[in-house]
Amino acid sequence: MTLHRVPQPDVTARPSWHGITRRHVVTGVLGAAVLLSPPAWTDDYWLQTLTATAIYAAVALSVSLLLGRVGMVSLCQFALLAVGTWIALRIGYATGMPFLVVLVSAGVLTGLLGILLGLPALRLNGLYLALITLMAAAGVTVVLAATQFPNGGSGVLGFSATAVGSTSRLARPGYASSDSAYYAVVVVIVALLFLLVGAHVVSKPGRAWAAIRQSESTAVAAGVSVVLYKLWAFALAAFITGVAGGLLAASGGGVTTYQFPTENNILLLAAVLMGGVYGMWGSIVAAVFVKVVPAVLQLWGISSDILLIAFGIGVIQTMLLSPRGVSAQIAGDLTRLAGRLKRSNKV
Amino acid sequence: MVDLTPYIILGLAFGGVYSLSGVGTVVLFRATAVLHFASGAVGATGALVAWTLIEQRGTPDIVGYLAAIGVGTAITLGYGLLLGPKFAQRDALEKAIGTLGLLLILLGGMSVLWGNDARTLNLPTARLSIQLGSATVNGTQIAAIALALVVTIATTLFLQLTRLGTAMRGMADSREVTAMLGVPVRRVEATAWLFSGVLASITGILMTGLVGLDIASLTFLIIPVLAAAVMGRLRSLWITFGAGLVIGVMQSSLIAFDSVAEYRNITPFVLAIVMLLWLAWRRPLMTRV
Repeated sequence: MTLHRVPQPDVTARPSWHGITRRHVVTGVLGAAVLLSPPAWTDDYWLQTLTATAIYAAVALSVSLLLGRVGMVSLCQFALLAVGTWIALRIGYATGMPFLVVLVSAGVLTGLLGILLGLPALRLNGLYLALITLMAAAGVTVVLAATQFPNGGSGVLGFSATAVGSTSRLARPGYASSDSAYYAVVVVIVALLFLLVGAHVVSKPGRAWAAIRQSESTAVAAGVSVVLYKLWAFALAAFITGVAGGLLAASGGGVTTYQFPTENNILLLAAVLMGGVYGMWGSIVAAVFVKVVPAVLQLWGISSDILLIAFGIGVIQTMLLSPRGVSAQIAGDLTRLAGRLKRSNKV
Repeated sequence: MVDLTPYIILGLAFGGVYSLSGVGTVVLFRATAVLHFASGAVGATGALVAWTLIEQRGTPDIVGYLAAIGVGTAITLGYGLLLGPKFAQRDALEKAIGTLGLLLILLGGMSVLWGNDARTLNLPTARLSIQLGSATVNGTQIAAIALALVVTIATTLFLQLTRLGTAMRGMADSREVTAMLGVPVRRVEATAWLFSGVLASITGILMTGLVGLDIASLTFLIIPVLAAAVMGRLRSLWITFGAGLVIGVMQSSLIAFDSVAEYRNITPFVLAIVMLLWLAWRRPLMTRV
């Protein structure tokens, strides 16, 4: 999808790791301190909300990676999150391997599924890709409703309806059994996922994706393997989602299939579009929209249905007026504000 | 051998609803290139209006249903007139995402105004019932099948025989060329939106009669409907009609087989995925816009 009036990034410019300055390091350290501070000043309610927000930021990142970087829309990332959760639970109950190993295996297996899902994307563009991924997502929802999440039962599905009091929840590692420690683990892992995507974007795959987004035929002419890099993008997006699924499986009081209705795929796309698909901040903004804002509204006693209306208006507004999303808008506003403050200081 | 007759009849009724809505989707897509994700939500809104008027206020049935169709049509036409032109130059995906926005607005609006309880609305057609072999068929089921057939025939004739229909077919090929030939494209598009709104509202009412009034399930009825439309390659009214019926019948017949009954709702999605893959490999020019 080529959104209108978007200044396309300069493909010839080659960003790299060599440009890391002291400022980046300072920002990084400060950012880490802020991100890891909540356990010191919040209660359990907010800690769980923020944990969920971090997980959703990773899922949003996978959508924006596909849409913003490669120009492919996937309406099944939320369904893939459910698949990742299922795989993590299944492995967790079956083997009792260490938490991090389970996470990585869930990511890798979901990534393999992502490649399978990416195959149609080699032949389908735009609306048709959106449709086939939506159909796949709807299919996953139906299957999941029948299989349920593993809860320690026997057999391939690992679900037992008669097991008393057994919720589907992945065992947390010993060092992260408390909610606050688990929050820190989630934030670190999600930050690593963001870095992983960042490393891709500034290196060869990122340039290949940018070329594909601009024009597939030009990319082919320039010697970019469209097949390889499209599948790579899908695999990476699915890997991220799978790891996020594993994180979700161990958070809160367990997972149920009701948490994964098909419509959430649509909602996720809406949130990501509003947040902005051309940068990684957009994914964080999207997660805040989906998780933090409803939590605030709930505290104020306002129905989160209002939020759906706001989302709807926001999507249309984003599509028509500001295709770069809220994060870019805020950044632009702040720059303008800073400029104005500077000018008023001079006077 | 299980007697499948009751399941097939039930399936034909659901299939009729899929077909009806699918035909509306295809006509709108051909004329405006907008894949209307919100038509299920429009139908649900209309059905809630009818429910409020008939069950709460005690207005006569016919007034309630006409009001439902009026509201549904007004919403659809309003969106088409207000935002249709703004999206006209965008690609099909962006147009579709615009209607996703409408879907979310309607979904939120319905939840705020009516709450999320499940409701029932007894259609007058439900009182009629006929014994057909081992199955009992009620009027709503007959209405769904009959209406789908009538609308498909009427729309085909309309597109073939009238000036407006010819203009719509022209716009399906090229909006620009049709506009240059002096066809008032905006007016033709408005007609298509109007048609889509009427069909969406009728679908909503029929579906309420068949399965009850639940906001989310009526809204996301659009997904199997899109599956039917996709099987008609978003072009053919008759294949869409047939696909709707096939999906309905298959989905419903699978109830009879215990081993797969739980998975029956996957039917439309599997069929649509197969069709899309077939299109991708055999009609690459269509799917790689």
